[in-house]
Amino acid sequence: MTQLIAIERVAKRYLTSSGAVDALADVSLSVGDGEFCTIIGPSGCGKSTVLGMLGGLVQPDTGRVLIAGEAVTGPDPARVATVFQDPGLFPWRTALDNVAFGLELQGVPRERRRRIAGDLLGPLGLKDFAAKYPRELSGGMRQRVAIGRALAIDTRILLMDEPFGALDEQTRMLMGDWLLDIWRRTSKTVIFVTHSLQEALALSTRVVVMTARPGRVKTVLPLDLPYPRSMESVEVVSLRAKLWHEIRRESLRAMSEA
Amino acid sequence: MSVTVVAIRMLLLIGLLLAWEVGARLANPLLYVPPTAVVPAVRELLALRSYPDLPAHLGLTVREIALAYALAVGAGLGIGFLLAMNRTFGRAWGPILAALYAVPAVVWYPSLMLFFGLDAASKIAFGFLLGFFPIALAVLAGIRQVNPQLVTVATAFGARPAAIFVKVLLPAMLFTLVGGLRTGLALSVVGVIVGEILGSRAGLGSLINHAYGLFRTADYVALVLLTLVLVVASDAGASLLERRARRWTA
Amino acid sequence: MTLRGVCGRLSDRARVRLLQAGSVLAVLALWEGVARAGWVDPLFVPTPSAVARGFALVAGPAVDGLVDTLSKTAIAYVLSVLLGVGAALVIGSVPAVNAVLHPFVVALYGMPKILILPWIVLLLGFGTAPAVLYGTIHGFFPILILVIGAVRDVDRTLLTVARSLGARRAQIYLKVILPAIVPTVLASMRLGIVFCLLGVLVVEMFAGIRGMGHVMGSLANGFRAPELFAATGLVSAASIAIVLGLDALNDRLSRWRG
Repeated sequence: MTQLIAIERVAKRYLTSSGAVDALADVSLSVGDGEFCTIIGPSGCGKSTVLGMLGGLVQPDTGRVLIAGEAVTGPDPARVATVFQDPGLFPWRTALDNVAFGLELQGVPRERRRRIAGDLLGPLGLKDFAAKYPRELSGGMRQRVAIGRALAIDTRILLMDEPFGALDEQTRMLMGDWLLDIWRRTSKTVIFVTHSLQEALALSTRVVVMTARPGRVKTVLPLDLPYPRSMESVEVVSLRAKLWHEIRRESLRAMSEA
Repeated sequence: MSVTVVAIRMLLLIGLLLAWEVGARLANPLLYVPPTAVVPAVRELLALRSYPDLPAHLGLTVREIALAYALAVGAGLGIGFLLAMNRTFGRAWGPILAALYAVPAVVWYPSLMLFFGLDAASKIAFGFLLGFFPIALAVLAGIRQVNPQLVTVATAFGARPAAIFVKVLLPAMLFTLVGGLRTGLALSVVGVIVGEILGSRAGLGSLINHAYGLFRTADYVALVLLTLVLVVASDAGASLLERRARRWTA
Repeated sequence: MTLRGVCGRLSDRARVRLLQAGSVLAVLALWEGVARAGWVDPLFVPTPSAVARGFALVAGPAVDGLVDTLSKTAIAYVLSVLLGVGAALVIGSVPAVNAVLHPFVVALYGMPKILILPWIVLLLGFGTAPAVLYGTIHGFFPILILVIGAVRDVDRTLLTVARSLGARRAQIYLKVILPAIVPTVLASMRLGIVFCLLGVLVVEMFAGIRGMGHVMGSLANGFRAPELFAATGLVSAASIAIVLGLDALNDRLSRWRG
């Protein structure tokens, strides 16, 4: 399988008011086309930084980030779309206009972009909310609009930085199912950052475990299980134990440092 | 709003007018101008009998306000955005701007009078000075309260700086900005009026001075009422535009 | 050790101060140059050096005038704070009163006070009384509006708790409402001083025989530009100093709030 995404020996240091912080030490990772790759790790391990690099918002200090063989120099909305933990919807735009935002930036004429956005609202479960403003929508709905905004520009790669982090557990699980459905219909390559083992196990084809700060790739766990997955099945339960074993020590290290 | 409240307000207003009427009559009608003396004065004023040149003076005042405000908007937005977009400039001159705001604007007026004389120019300059600060400060405040996540999102979707400015910054700060523009108008109006009353040869303020100087107290009150109408009308116009702007961004 | 090297080494804050000082000096130098070159009539725009000399000339009467103005302002200030906060407590805490009076208050606040100045002078003549009265009126309204807002914003829960513990009316005012509105009162006091000073200066310019406003008016009429600029600078400096002083006092008093 050709490696669509290649992260090669990447490091990043941030200068804060309290001194230098090594977010990433030596991260190497490759992701194939069509994968659902979850990055999991303790707080502060640099997962969001990795995503930022893939999205062209952060430049590595050393190493390279390649997409389809080309180095990433800046945001590339032709190939990569990002969904953040804070949905970041524009409060003065309706749900429909928020979804159409990326298309608007690319100069798609108004009729067409509204149609594309409108067609997305159905699968997003927001058909009746096209004319609503973000303040009239629930947290889950807002995040769906943000995802819709990312889907509208129809990129090959979808980056998601803890998109369900602010939602309650039940909504999270429903959103996870819904996201899986979209992924399987669109065959995008998804990089999904999360804290939640449950999400990692339910959604991914591969789980990348990162160490505590400074972040490195600790383990890569392939998940060759069919969908939909039952959380009670023997394989999942044993994988969960394995995953937790990998993460636990890093989490403890991160906690003691914080 | 309940009917009782409106009724009480009406009663209060009528009561005040009655008290004023009685009190003025008893004390000194010339000095205290009871409402019954004001009404004929207003009629005389509007019929252009007490001050036949009224339209010319009114027109001058309105022109002074328009020019002062136009300058205030231009400079306020220009300098405001310059300070807001350029971080070093903003951090250096922002506090200086805020410090100047702590100075009562009227201290500049004698210098303006010396420089521009008693004519319209000094009033325009003063109205400009007063209207400039709230507008410039509103630009700075408006930019500061923009949610940075919105800028990150736009960048992630490939927006260029120009697009970020037009599609993210402007809508996000519009509410604050329009508030500043409205305050700026109110202050420009006050500035021109103050300038005229402190010394001018023409304009509504000069008529007020004239009436006051000749003890024509009823005419003075009529002129004050006319000026108040002007003030209220300009603010009403501004608030209408404000509401229109809000509908456009939301 | 180059200039750039030094500048690069400076902290952000020092750099800002340097830019501020540098730009002020640049403006002064430009001003001096332009005035000397004769591009502007030195009668109207004196050189900074002339202003400095003018300061020496006018120092006596200017300082006297300033002291006079500031004493009137102090009286007006005390009055406007007491009346403003007092009236605001009454209007703000009794919903019925607020409902009835609200449009009157807003209307009076929005009215340019200068319109009644000629009438006040007619009644009270020239001198200290009209200045103090007008200064009080000028400072009263912004304080009133701000504190009414604060009183109305006092957390309902706090009032309910106090009442359920048997607090009487006076105690509620003293122990709940007053402490809760302190930050706004301080903020309004900072605003009020500028308004009072402005009111006093306006009266002195309009119909004054003493005070800084009168001094500046006479200097303007006498076309004594250097002295006028010096006097303007003096009043401005005094005003900025007072406001900065109030800010510092405010910070000191609010330190417990963190």
